Amino acid sequence: MEIGHSAYDFNLPGVDGKTYSLKDFADKPVLVLFFWCNHCPYVKAYEDRVIALANEFGDRVAFVAINSNDPTQYPEDSFENMQKHAEAKGYPFPYLFDETQAVARAYNASRTPEFFVFDEERDLKYHGRFDDNWEYPDQVRHEYVRDAIVSLLQNDVPHVSQVPPIGCTIKWKH
Amino acid sequence: MRIELLYYPECPSHERALELIREALASEGVSAEVNVVRIDTQEQAETHRFIGSPTIRVNGRELQPQPHLPYRLTCRTFQHEDGRLSPLPSLTMLREAIRNTEGG
Repeated sequence: MEIGHSAYDFNLPGVDGKTYSLKDFADKPVLVLFFWCNHCPYVKAYEDRVIALANEFGDRVAFVAINSNDPTQYPEDSFENMQKHAEAKGYPFPYLFDETQAVARAYNASRTPEFFVFDEERDLKYHGRFDDNWEYPDQVRHEYVRDAIVSLLQNDVPHVSQVPPIGCTIKWKH
Repeated sequence: MRIELLYYPECPSHERALELIREALASEGVSAEVNVVRIDTQEQAETHRFIGSPTIRVNGRELQPQPHLPYRLTCRTFQHEDGRLSPLPSLTMLREAIRNTEGG
């Protein structure tokens, strides 16, 4: 998905039993949609940072996690395990299951984690990784997703619009 | 000492894993070749008992084995001494594995 492109709508089940589409987040001026899963160690490395950011900005920014992995190959990523994991970690955002993988394909997502930040018109303003140091949270120098959120909340354009995502590949069905 | 690094190229951790192994060897004053094995297919994963990238074996003993996991093409998770989950082992874990093998 190119910068400036409109968000694709979806209709996906969440671990809370509800079904979500873009209109459910229309009251928030910024949307952070990210491809996520249970098993990937890069997701695990970033998990607490993403939860903290969602808790910090949750009143003004919609955070939405989507798991598109094939659970037949990666059973940790099944819907049931998504429910267990989201509850155990206290996810402050919807965690959705893209069983057909159509949403990941529409967004041309390739990794977990991979972040898409949209403005109020739901045009893409940032795409890529969360920050510049998955390994050491205390050595992060550039917080790309946070910076994009702050810029958009100030009606400004993010200084950085794309940084290649780093993480596991999305596990496509054969 | 035999050290093997098995990796899946779609997982971005293997170059750093090799650096960490070399750093651990140098820190322990041990000279050893690292046999780097690339895993591209599910068949290779099963042949090499590969549960994820990077898989590191010192004299055939796997670092942080996870026998409940299936053989597959993905990144693997290591739990560090402080409980942190990471795509890579810590330098301390590697040094201990080398030291224990060297001493034993």
